[in-house]
Parts: sequence; C-alpha cells; structure tokens
Amino acid sequence: MNCDDARQLLLLAGYGELSFEEEEALELHLAACPGCQAARAENESLESLLAKAELDPPPGLLARCRRDLAVRIGEESAPRRRFSLAHLWDRWVIHPPMWLRPVGALAMLAAGFFAARVVPESPMLARLTGGPAPLASVARVRLVNAAGSGQVRVQYDEIRQRELTGSLQNEQIRSMLISAAADPSDPGLRVDTMDLLKNHGESDDVRQVLLQALRTDPNSGVRLKALDGLKAYAREPETRQALAEVVQRDDNPGVRVQAIDLLLQNREPEVVGLLQELMRREENGYIRSRSQKALREMKASVDTF
Amino acid sequence: MNPSSASLALSQPGAAQACTQGAESMDEAALIRAAQAGDHDAFERLVRNYDQSVLKLATNLLRSPDDAHDVYQEAFLRVYRNINSFRFDCSFHTWLYRIVTNLCLDQLRKRKVRKTEPSTVETPEGTVDRLETTPEYRPHADPQRSLLSTEIKHRIEDTLSQMSSRERMVFEMRHYQGMRLRAIGDVLGTSEEAAKNCLFRATQKMRTALGDLL
Repeated sequence: MNCDDARQLLLLAGYGELSFEEEEALELHLAACPGCQAARAENESLESLLAKAELDPPPGLLARCRRDLAVRIGEESAPRRRFSLAHLWDRWVIHPPMWLRPVGALAMLAAGFFAARVVPESPMLARLTGGPAPLASVARVRLVNAAGSGQVRVQYDEIRQRELTGSLQNEQIRSMLISAAADPSDPGLRVDTMDLLKNHGESDDVRQVLLQALRTDPNSGVRLKALDGLKAYAREPETRQALAEVVQRDDNPGVRVQAIDLLLQNREPEVVGLLQELMRREENGYIRSRSQKALREMKASVDTF
Repeated sequence: MNPSSASLALSQPGAAQACTQGAESMDEAALIRAAQAGDHDAFERLVRNYDQSVLKLATNLLRSPDDAHDVYQEAFLRVYRNINSFRFDCSFHTWLYRIVTNLCLDQLRKRKVRKTEPSTVETPEGTVDRLETTPEYRPHADPQRSLLSTEIKHRIEDTLSQMSSRERMVFEMRHYQGMRLRAIGDVLGTSEEAAKNCLFRATQKMRTALGDLL
C-alpha cells in the first residue's frame, strides 16, 4: 500500500467503513509511515472540529412539529368536513394557503387605506393615535368617569400571561387542562391536552373530558388521542356507548377503525346488532371485514333480514 | 393483528439501517401494515421511531428551524398520504429518507436560486444567526474560546454552503447521521462508490477550509 491509497482509506477508516483486510493493510502501513500517522491525527482533529458545528434542533421544535403534524393529519383525514362552513373558514381565513397570504395582506392594506379615506376621523381615534400606544394586555374597558381635578378614572379588564407548573393532581392545573381540552380556537392545544390527560382516565372528570372529546371534537387528531385514553376503559358501559356512536357516526375512517377494534376487545352481545348494521352500510373495507369476522366468531348472522 | 400490541421496531432514532433484518424488522413491518389499514396509533409510532433523526438531519442540512419544521411536516404528510403504496421493496428508512432528502434538496436548490441565507437575520446590532439564539448555541462562558468556536462554526457553515447540494447531503448523512455509505447510496438513488467519491470531495473541501486549525 502506498501513501495515496492509505490517505484514501484513512477517511473511510474514521467512519468505520473499511473491511477487515483493508483495515489490516492500513494499520501495517501506518506503523511504518510517520507522514500517514500525521494525516490520521489531522483527520481526528477535523472530526473534533466538525463535532462543534453539529446542531441539535432548538428546544420545543420537535414538540411543535409533532403537534402540527397531528393537526394536519387530523385535517387531511376528515374528507366529509371539507365543505363545511367551519372548514372553509379554517381553510381560507385562519390557515390560508401560502399563495393567498400576500393577496390577503394586500387586500387588507387596501381596505384600510380606503376606509381611512371614507370614514370620518373619530375623536377617540385621534386621541389614541396622538397618545401613547394602548396597553396590549387590556381586553376591555369597563367603566370611565371623572375622578376630579381633571383626572379620569378608567376601569378595565386585563389579560396576563402566567405560567403554572404542577402535577395533574393539582386542582388548578387539572381545571385548566379541562378548559384547554374544550378550547375551540386551537386544535394543537387540544391535541397536547389530550396527550397529557390520556393516561389519567381513572378520574371521572378526566374520563368525561375524553368521552366528550371523542364524541364532539371536530379534529380527528384530538379524537384519536381521546380514544387512546379510553382504551383501558373499553369495558365500561359509558365508554362502549360512546364507541358505538363513533363507529356509526364519525366521518374519519381511522377513528372508526380504532373504535371498532376497541369494541371488539370485549364481545358483549349488544355488539352484534351494531356489527350487522355496519355490514349493511359501512364503506370502509377493513371495518366491514373486521365486522364480518367478528360476527362469524360470535356465531351470529352476517346479514340482517 | 392487534396494532396496539405491536412493539417498537427501533428504539434509537437513526438506527434504522438495522431494520432490514431480524425481529425488529418484523415489528416494523407489522406497524407499517397496521398503518396501511388505517391505524393511526401505529402510524404515530412509526413517526416517532424516525422523527427525531429526520428533524436533526433537516436542521443540520438547512440550518433553519423553520425550514426544518416545514420539511418535517411535508415529509410525514407524504408518508401518511402514500403509506398504502409502500410495497416493502426497500426498507422504510430508505423510503422515508428519500422523501426527506428530496425535500431538503428542493429547499437547498430554491435557496441557491434566491441566494438567501435563511439561518441569519439582519438586526440593528448586525447579522444574527437565528440558531444561535437558542440555548445550545449561546456563547461559551470563556470569551476567547467562544470566539474561536464561533469562528470555526462559521467557517464550517461557509464551507457547507459552498458544497454542491449532493456533497452536502452525503457529508451530513455520513458525518452527523452516522449512515453507512451503502444506505446513503440507496437513499440518493446512486451507488456506494458514487456516494464515497462525493464524501471524499466534501471532506477535502472541509479540510482545505479548516487547514490552519488542524
């Protein structure tokens, strides 16, 4: 082996890509060649320098990615909601496509420009624009009156952002999570909340939240998380009732599949009617074959007459 | 199959090369089949097996958290939409990484056209690297070491940005993701030999750029 060959192999050796024979030949060469030994040392310092430039994703990015993915998959897999008003609002106003955003921004700019020309200037507006910027945290002014000596008293509601840390046993944390689970404005927040609550279904209040989300949440990502949390309670009548409703009414095949799997874990007699009904009108092939198989195993008729 | 009972195929993100053999690959195959049957739980577990390494690759390649976020979303949405067309004729890792590297290549090409450097922003105090604003990249307590470390980082990033998109891709996958050259070749649709040559060129450029520090 000459030095040129050895230098080529040195790099691959650093990555553990050499065969046994190549490694042996390289080691033999290195033992007798100070030039290549120096080249190996140079490679090693290159490695340690490169390690300095390795990036880890910023904190929170992975969680944000997972949350956004759950929401987008939830939206993707709800085809029957595609033309609902709520969907259109969300699709075109809350999360418009990228190409529409500059158009929307221009339209708002133009609307503002023309409104300023058409609408007469209000005294309140004049005061606001002439004075200090309004408090960002003021939600609503409730009361104003003169306080004497030319002073004015203003009573207002204020929104403050605060942080609370504690276990799920903490009553305040629990009640905030229950409230976040029903926040209609942020499906991502609801997905995260369900993720936290799903392992605490032993409490009645949490289980009720899971059941409510499963039955009514418009986002299928949230409903799937709720289903996950209810797995351990699939024998309970209230859960079975909710699962039966989901199997019959949910517009997301993924949610229906999970619900039917849970229902079939415990083959109570009342499930037969539901399975026969599914055989009659279910479009999803997997659910139909699952129902058919279960009916046969339960020695029930596959058809209704 | 009970999807919920399928155990995780790979506990280590990025260790997916091993998935082509043995019991682990059986478990992963079960997860994929469950996901193909519409099991969201199985799909989520598949995502979680790989998403940390996907995000790290995208972050290192694109050097922009926002672009890495977009690539993550688009890659896994494509997997979700096309999972039924996955026919097990390559490993899931290879299939996923093909999607991710194609998306990253598109981003890098777009950047070359736009000639922008998205990891930096202009501020009244000068140019700031957005990635440096996160805790991992805060300067070291020792100002001299911090200066040297920043200098090294900038030189490495400059060199990476001067590499061709493919050189950069091979370099990142081999160096930071620890992927074998054969797997890199599979992902990029080329031979192991071509991936090796690409790695040589990329490393040579890096060595030249950092020569005085070695």
